[in-house]
Amino acid sequence: MGETALVSEFRLAGKQPPHFTNQSIIKVEAFGKSYRKTVAVSDVNLEVRRGQLYGLLGPDGAGKSSLMKAVAGVMSFEAGNVGVFDVRLDSEAASETIKDRIGFMPQGLGLNLYPELSVEENIDFFARLRLVPEHELFERKQQLLAMTRLAPFRNRLMKKLSGGMKQKLGLICTLIHEPELLILDEPTTGVDPVSRRDFWIILSNLVRERGITALVTTAYMDEASRFHRISLMYEGKVLAEGEPERVCEMAEGSVVMLKSASQTQAIEVLRQVFPQVQPEGNWIRLFVDGAKAEEAVLQTRDAMGELTVNRVHAEETELEDAFTALLRHKGLTSLDEETTLGSVNMETNTESLNGIGIEALELTKNFGEFTAVDRVSFKVAEGEIFGLLGANGAGKTTVIKVLTGIMPASRGSGNVAGANLTHLGRAIKQRIGYMSQQFSLYTDLTVVENILLYAGIYGLRPVEARARCDWICTMAGLHSHINERTSRLPVGMRQRLALGCALVHRPRVLFLDEPTSGIDPIGRQRFWKILFQLSREEGVTVLVTTHYMSEAEHCDHLVLMHAGRLVADASPEVLKQEVETEVGRILELDSPHAKHALEHLAANGFNNPVMFGKHIHVWSKYPESDVVRISDLLGLEHAAIRVRDLSMDDVFVHRIRSLERPVSTVTEELMS
Amino acid sequence: MTGVEQSIGERVALWLRQLGVMTLKEFPQLVRDRPVFAYIVFIFTLDIIIAAGQSVELNNAKVVINDADQSMASRELTYRFRAPYFDVAETNLHPDIALSWLDRGQATLLIDIPPNFSESLYRGDEVATVQMLVDTSNANIGFLAASYGSRIAAELGTQFTAQRTASVTALPRIDNQRRVRFNADINESWFSSISELLAVITVACIFLPAVAMVREKERGTVEQLLVSPLSPFQVMFAKVLAMMTVMLIGTAFSLFVIMQPLFDVPARGSLALFFALTALYAFATAGIGMLAATFARNTAQLGMLLMLIVFPIILLSGLWVQLESMPTWLRQVMNLTPLRYFIDIAYGILLRGVDIAIIWDSVLKMTAIGIVLFGVALWRFRRQFGG
Repeated sequence: MGETALVSEFRLAGKQPPHFTNQSIIKVEAFGKSYRKTVAVSDVNLEVRRGQLYGLLGPDGAGKSSLMKAVAGVMSFEAGNVGVFDVRLDSEAASETIKDRIGFMPQGLGLNLYPELSVEENIDFFARLRLVPEHELFERKQQLLAMTRLAPFRNRLMKKLSGGMKQKLGLICTLIHEPELLILDEPTTGVDPVSRRDFWIILSNLVRERGITALVTTAYMDEASRFHRISLMYEGKVLAEGEPERVCEMAEGSVVMLKSASQTQAIEVLRQVFPQVQPEGNWIRLFVDGAKAEEAVLQTRDAMGELTVNRVHAEETELEDAFTALLRHKGLTSLDEETTLGSVNMETNTESLNGIGIEALELTKNFGEFTAVDRVSFKVAEGEIFGLLGANGAGKTTVIKVLTGIMPASRGSGNVAGANLTHLGRAIKQRIGYMSQQFSLYTDLTVVENILLYAGIYGLRPVEARARCDWICTMAGLHSHINERTSRLPVGMRQRLALGCALVHRPRVLFLDEPTSGIDPIGRQRFWKILFQLSREEGVTVLVTTHYMSEAEHCDHLVLMHAGRLVADASPEVLKQEVETEVGRILELDSPHAKHALEHLAANGFNNPVMFGKHIHVWSKYPESDVVRISDLLGLEHAAIRVRDLSMDDVFVHRIRSLERPVSTVTEELMS
Repeated sequence: MTGVEQSIGERVALWLRQLGVMTLKEFPQLVRDRPVFAYIVFIFTLDIIIAAGQSVELNNAKVVINDADQSMASRELTYRFRAPYFDVAETNLHPDIALSWLDRGQATLLIDIPPNFSESLYRGDEVATVQMLVDTSNANIGFLAASYGSRIAAELGTQFTAQRTASVTALPRIDNQRRVRFNADINESWFSSISELLAVITVACIFLPAVAMVREKERGTVEQLLVSPLSPFQVMFAKVLAMMTVMLIGTAFSLFVIMQPLFDVPARGSLALFFALTALYAFATAGIGMLAATFARNTAQLGMLLMLIVFPIILLSGLWVQLESMPTWLRQVMNLTPLRYFIDIAYGILLRGVDIAIIWDSVLKMTAIGIVLFGVALWRFRRQFGG
């Protein structure tokens, strides 16, 4: 009875284009939540309207999850009002009344699912829990499985799915009762870029076609443009609110990219003038406060003085830049306050490695029938920052485990830090540092206990160990936390300590497996600053894996893995260049009639048009002429169409997609 | 690095330093793990005290008597069921009511003395009947109550016979003269507190290093150790060494602060020998836990796995149940547990005051089993992580 009424109401709402109903779905006023004495969130206001894809962005511990739980009616709070569908959530009874109309997916990969049940059994379970009529269940299930490309895996146990697939299954289970409001807590954390992009396409289609409203959190700043509106959160407060572009503009200033032959010196000089300077591969990225693009470039040239400037140009401000700038402007942080890096002073043994840090020769690793790594070869020059990219399960971690000697290779060989993998396994161990994907410190030990432990393991004598301990604390900005237990440190600081522990014995080669997941942009910038210094000044070879494509840009050299194989091997710039010559660049356009525009573009032979937040993205080989064609086709002004530079994310997704083309073509068809 | 040119002395020093830091780190970790630390304190203190108080003797077993005879003989019989073994609640209870006491578990023993009891006793009938009903739902207590009861009845019978035939002298008798050795007062708290201490040592030695090992796996720190120049042996042995120390401190505390002052438990043999062999036992038993740790992926799994192993070992190795009373095959299985030998060693040294000359074969067997267990665990650990 009530059930059917709800469904029909929803159907009705689904038929209307979202912008006609301007009804407020979520209204949060002066919201506050404390856990014992720690204030998690205070004084938050936000409003989400029907049909909006609303994003909450911010680093770990910003208070996103607390807010999400309050809106989903699963957590009590002390201050303010939370209203959902005009119901004030002030009691458990009130929360009960809205639960039929919302779908909530908590944080964590597949944590709400049952690993021992199959895909279909999981869906059926959630459907029955929500009292979905059996005849409707069948149809909805087909539709959702097709949309998420999970149909071929319906009998596979949930625990055997990849991270991205688990997340899609989680989404299906959240959608099976056709909620009007979706609340998704970090649905893309720990998911690779391809699966992430899939996820966003599915989500934006749902919002557009069914008029669903969605409140989503993410720690990936580069996902901001996916949303209609965002709130940028930091330490329990809202830093900025609005459309993604507006939020970027709120940080007054411009981003300048600069290339100089003497990169290290240039960074030093620029840091004295500008607060936000960081290396990005061979480039330097800096933020010039309060200046328009041309002016910012001029200021940068001035600051460089006598140093050679090979190339310089202004670039669009990304949310990550804006976030850091906003924090700085509000006096909440300074990039240099903790890590006084002055001189790294590694006193490394400068024994030469003949210019080669790591070399993999036809490495293969089998687990029974399954080939995790298939004849992988690459060469990493000494002192290079080398990025190993790939989707979840592509074999990155296995490559690292083989190269560090945690696992023996099934076939092939390699050289690490001048020692042969097969014959000199033990010699390698003294020369490498390793920071694993999982947290590699003892959380119940203090900072100094951790450092001295690793110093002892690597056979340092007590005097030497003390000296290194000092160095690590300076490097990681930990002097004031030396006797604190590691579990009480913020994530960013912990990761720097873990890096310090991996460096305790002055290794020549450093392996880092997703060292920055879950850290806020500022923490990540600090982390990369250290890596950069290690590689440039000490000649340490760094091999790093990451899911943050913005970090991939920091690498000198990248390889891309897919299904255990190497599919690309070049510098970030060359990789972008290659994709550009292959498929062109991306045109970004705004259209008031998005659905109509998408259909039109596809019908006229444009390559894979998709929704990207409020914009439409389409690939174009001849951007100049295509801008004209599209503006004629859709009756848009030329200004409404912009040519975007390719990001590493685009490169990654394109490369992987082209390898699994047969499947993805099917998806596009299903979705249009 | 200079790894190749190091002298043997330097390499040994390095190896020991690595083992040292790995061992030392376990102590703060253990102390900061509040529940586990509290548990360790408990088992070596309160638990021993509680166990020392428990007894396998018959204490105050409730007796109800239906005395239909009401004679001097029947009263004499009733009188002989007394404290501390028995507690006679009623002497003139109607049989039906008495039976209901038994049904409700209010009495352990029901004695029905027929009206002609003293008559047939004095007459010198071949048998004078007394019926005894025993509640054996607790088999141990039931068995004791029954056997004490029969002994009381038999003694009374013999005495009457002796009185009656006093004139006919020279009935053959055996005078059983007891000399109790090692525990003159048959003080049960000695045995039970030492038994409990051995049980507690066993639990600690199996669980603590295994938990420490699985935690490394669970948290992912084990990978960090594997890329370091540590050998798997150093990783595993450091845990055993640390927990062995904790266990020895606990044992010393139990022995000197609880068992000796409170229960006067003697230590007749060499204490140095006792602690040395306890350390050896710790290593031998830790092998069981370490082996289990290579199978478990997390502490929950480890806990369940160890439950299956620890209970049978403690129950069946001869701590509480005599080995001789078990079927041959089970005894042979139990011969494979280190505890079976450590029981001989511990009672031998503490109560009987023996030295190594008498228990050396137990020591040898225990050591051999320990080396095999630890070796298999090490082999599995190496294979799992390919190091």
